[in-house]
Amino acid sequence: MSVAELKERHIAATATVNALRERLKQKRTLLLDTDGSSSCYSHFAGYARSQGRTPVSFGPTDLVCCRILQGHTGKVYSLDWTPEKNRIVSASQDGRLIVWNALTSQKTHAIKLPCAWVMTCAFSPNGQSVACGGLDSVCSIFNLNSPVDKDGNLPVSRMLSGHKGYVSSCQYVPDEDTHLITSSGDQTCVLWDVTTGQRLSVFGGEFPSGHTADVLSVSINGSNSKMFVSGSCDATARLWDTRIASRAVRTFHGHEGDVNTVKFFPDGQRFGTGSGDGTCRLFDMRTGHQLQVYHQQHAAADGEVPHVTSIAFSISGRLLFAAYSNNDCYVWDTLVAKVVLNLRSLQNSHEGRITCLGLSADGSALCTGSWDKNLKIWAFGGDRREI
Amino acid sequence: MLSILVETMGLLCSKKQHLSEADAEENAQVDNSALAAEIERRIAQETKAEKHIQKLLLLGAGESGKSTIFKQIKLLFQTGFDEAELKSYIPVIHANVYQTIKILHDGSKEFAQNDENSSKYVLSAENKDIGEKLSEIGGRLDHPRLTKELAQDIETLWKDAAIQETYARGNELQVPDCAHYFMENLQRLSDVNYVPTKEDVLYARVRTTGVVEIQFSPVGGNKKSGEVYRLFDVGGQRNERRKWIHLFEGVTAVIFCAAISEYDQMLFEDENKNRMMETKELFDWVLKQQCFEKTSFMLFLNKFDIFEKKVLKVPLNVCEWFKDYQPVSTGKQEIEHAYEFVKKKFEELYFQSTAPDRVDRVFKIYRTTALDQKLVKKTFKLVDETLRRRNLFEAGLL
Repeated sequence: MSVAELKERHIAATATVNALRERLKQKRTLLLDTDGSSSCYSHFAGYARSQGRTPVSFGPTDLVCCRILQGHTGKVYSLDWTPEKNRIVSASQDGRLIVWNALTSQKTHAIKLPCAWVMTCAFSPNGQSVACGGLDSVCSIFNLNSPVDKDGNLPVSRMLSGHKGYVSSCQYVPDEDTHLITSSGDQTCVLWDVTTGQRLSVFGGEFPSGHTADVLSVSINGSNSKMFVSGSCDATARLWDTRIASRAVRTFHGHEGDVNTVKFFPDGQRFGTGSGDGTCRLFDMRTGHQLQVYHQQHAAADGEVPHVTSIAFSISGRLLFAAYSNNDCYVWDTLVAKVVLNLRSLQNSHEGRITCLGLSADGSALCTGSWDKNLKIWAFGGDRREI
Repeated sequence: MLSILVETMGLLCSKKQHLSEADAEENAQVDNSALAAEIERRIAQETKAEKHIQKLLLLGAGESGKSTIFKQIKLLFQTGFDEAELKSYIPVIHANVYQTIKILHDGSKEFAQNDENSSKYVLSAENKDIGEKLSEIGGRLDHPRLTKELAQDIETLWKDAAIQETYARGNELQVPDCAHYFMENLQRLSDVNYVPTKEDVLYARVRTTGVVEIQFSPVGGNKKSGEVYRLFDVGGQRNERRKWIHLFEGVTAVIFCAAISEYDQMLFEDENKNRMMETKELFDWVLKQQCFEKTSFMLFLNKFDIFEKKVLKVPLNVCEWFKDYQPVSTGKQEIEHAYEFVKKKFEELYFQSTAPDRVDRVFKIYRTTALDQKLVKKTFKLVDETLRRRNLFEAGLL
């Protein structure tokens, strides 16, 4: 069979799949509850309400800005908490990583990066190292205990090279200081051995069922670290098993724009996504079903739909924090799919869009990073910690 | 299912301890304020030292000449390439040779199959085997060093009438611009002691991943005064620019390279898309980006040397954007006329894509041939003047 013939067949097959998908989508919509408001996409929330679940009570006094971390001279792009002690690492357009003590808001390290164009950073499980990556297509590792050079800079202790495009996101495998997963503009995710610098597995790329556009985000399942999910410009999220690099376990459709961010739900059975289509969604990992869509009309200044930049779940999963490109930061009640708070309306809110957010390990505080060059820490009021 | 979910939420909460209290005590005891102050001092110092460095971003479609400009700047204003660096280009240059002859060989077969005058694209019998062998080598990821024997084979094939006919239609294939240059220098390139010349390096085509940057001062190594520039080439990223372009907010200027000789060529990534149309769309997109609201734009209309040879043979209006072009004369006059037409098109595009509130952003057009060192040097001096004038203007001194 010639290349041209194969191409034609491929196009025809893709058209068939898309048509089937469209029919499935229409059937599903018909079967769901509709009440005309923001939750019209899922029976999940309808069931919640029918069982008498009222929206969680969570208001402006339940989240208070208790720390402002100032020091970056450029937009903040990424942040990560340590798994245990309350430290935060942040990455900025100023070409630096800064490590902060979240309680005292003091800086403990400032690392001037060899390549200023950094897009992501992460703490190792033992808190001794930080990883970062960006336009240089490399994931660099810094050991925080290394002696600094004469300019006061930490030397790179390991460079993970191999990606053919920017490194958009990186995360250490929980409890494994030697393994790390990256996502890249080259359409692949890679599992690395940090000690040798080797690529242990490549997810996507030459193999079928990989993403067909830039991969923007990864999230490793906290309950089963062999599974991770990735989000991409191809509008899908894909589930991977690190033991099987040759194909994705499942592909999740539904979004109509770039999937900018993915995050596992605390129980590891579901995961959330945030997209350029302005919605967040909740998917069931095993069945592949879209359980919920979180969508609300924003006040659109220029008629453009604000896209979701970053999401995080509260420790119980009852709350979903979602930051948008128009400076909003909604707190969603995940069960009834209603917005209960907009961080923008609080005192000391950011003056620019929030690009990253994350909960501390014990869930008692939320950190946000913004294009206004600052990070802010928000504490949950006393009795709201369990949420 | 929902009830299970709610129960799980409860379980999750009770499992986690509140580490924050224990930590608070521990952290309160360790006062790092001296360290923190030292860090802040260092950040302030570094920021101050960098303030006067002007950042320049090279943008443009693939093969528009960005990397060549980058190499030229390195040759002109830095210490250039030392012998080790020059030698590091040998594998790249040899790879370019193999890739080129493969494209030509495979192209001749394609034309022989599909074209009406197929016989002129059929290789002579004695060269068929050589052709197959070279095509196989060219398709590998790792290429053997170019030996005298292989160079001889390549030269033989290059001189085959079918290959020359194919080369004449090189714009329909992806024949790189360095083809002719390397084919004419095969003997030298295959020499056992070959050390690439600066010109060889300028012609060499390599896809970099990531970002390359150089810092330089155009006034010259001895003078302490004058501007300091940092030039970035992000050419190696073959992905969604919109996902990282905002990292470059605040750069002093964008140097946009457009290869004006490409009006009759198709993209490497998509053989149905005209390269000039791609450049037009990219330029339009870059101009509209919010992060470049206040950024100066230096448009380099590049590859003029190829343009001036082509435009008399291939009419401009094969490209949709230039479809209203009418030639007026011949020879040098015609070339100038054609160039002015293209320049005007870009100017119109600039003003169409620039919102009223950005109209006072600096915009200059330069005719360049990236391979011509003198011209690049002259062009850059003009760019430097423009940017310095703008700085004085911004500072309220003009």
